Amino acid sequence: MHRLAWNLVLGISLGIWSLGFVISSAAAAEVIPPKPTAYFNDYANVVPKEKALALNEKLAQFERDTSNQVLVAVFRKMETDSDVADYTRRIAESWKVGQAEKRNGAVLFVFVQDRKIFIQVGYGLEGALPDVTAFDITERHIKPQFRAGDYAAGLDEGVDLILKAIRGEYRGTGATVQERRAPASSGCGPLGFFIMLIIILMIIRLGRRRGGFGYTGLGGPFISSGWGGGGGWSGGSSSSSGGGFSGFSGGGGSFGGGGAGSSW
Amino acid sequence: MKTFLGLGKILALASLFSLTGCGTYNNLVTLEQEVNKKWADVQSVYQRRADLIPNLVNTVAGAANFEKSTLTEVTNARASVGQVKLDPTKAPTDAAELEKFQQAQGQLSTALSRLLVVSERYPELKATQAFQNLQVQLEGTENRISVERNNFNTAVQAYNTALARFPTNMLNHMFGFKPRPFFTAAAGAEKAPEVKFDFNKPAAAPTATP
Repeated sequence: MHRLAWNLVLGISLGIWSLGFVISSAAAAEVIPPKPTAYFNDYANVVPKEKALALNEKLAQFERDTSNQVLVAVFRKMETDSDVADYTRRIAESWKVGQAEKRNGAVLFVFVQDRKIFIQVGYGLEGALPDVTAFDITERHIKPQFRAGDYAAGLDEGVDLILKAIRGEYRGTGATVQERRAPASSGCGPLGFFIMLIIILMIIRLGRRRGGFGYTGLGGPFISSGWGGGGGWSGGSSSSSGGGFSGFSGGGGSFGGGGAGSSW
Repeated sequence: MKTFLGLGKILALASLFSLTGCGTYNNLVTLEQEVNKKWADVQSVYQRRADLIPNLVNTVAGAANFEKSTLTEVTNARASVGQVKLDPTKAPTDAAELEKFQQAQGQLSTALSRLLVVSERYPELKATQAFQNLQVQLEGTENRISVERNNFNTAVQAYNTALARFPTNMLNHMFGFKPRPFFTAAAGAEKAPEVKFDFNKPAAAPTATP
């Protein structure tokens, strides 16, 4: 009897819970993608890996030089009922692209299935990259290449033109937001943990190979054993130390509807 | 006994004041400043749109036999927007005032979107870079207007909520804080503009894809 009552309660509450879930997911027709960890984000897999990495480094270096944060995000499709200008502004705003005071962010969005391109321009770059320039870039430079099916070339040229337009507007600090934040967390963050791990492993290894070749042999094999021993470590974090890859962190910028786009 | 009660009341009021008065007062001032700042942003994007119009009208008027009625409508709507001038540094406190402003701007929005729809019938005009640029600027301005209106409404909501909350609501009359009206969605804004063509005039070439 007791058991039955409990089951009933459980059943009802589960029912209500799942009902709530259905309702809430039905109401949330729009999906705002989570903050990206890179400058160049090809979620639709239309650009070769090396090209994507090269563009990512170019954009990271651009932030170091100018403090402007420029991102590229290529999605498979739009997940919203709003129009592309509205939707991409909300995404860019939620990602906080650009520095907080300068509000100097810009994001080049592509939705492959919708065949839509849009450049969102933060408040602080509206002067250097006005709507007309943004439109010129999407309409006359990116669009023809996309029509021909060459995404990499279109994005490459688009990025170059955006950077050309906004270079000189602000001065950089020589480091990205993520690189500037890194020192503050050292010692207790993942980097500190990693260093500690290296030291401990080194001590163990030194202890074992006391009579062997000693110090000189430590470099290569040691590092790889460290990574292997770390298990899930390598997949977990997107720290900037991963093989010359520069990660992105938003600086707190905001967007007021500047920018323009095209359909191809 | 009576004096004691009065004293108690005064004491209670004084302690309420000292506990909450100063902080809430400053908080209200900050929130009110924010509302005014957002109002200034709203005004500047509307001004930006108004500034675009002479250029747009000139470009369109240059096109061969463009519908005069559409152009006149835009020019008139812009003129009536100019007549409803509100203080750009201070958000309106009167809901009717804001309503009038919004109505005039709404008329201009309708006239402009009608002009863009009509321009679809003039492929030569649409192909010119001057017109394309103006169209892009106009669309960008409309986007900015909707953003700044939303930001303004958010700021007003924060301010009005703070104002209505206990114990602030006991103080606001004393210091002259008034709730601010919101922007509302324009009636019929969700409907596409109605387009009437003057078929007496020689029609332009059939609409081409942009």
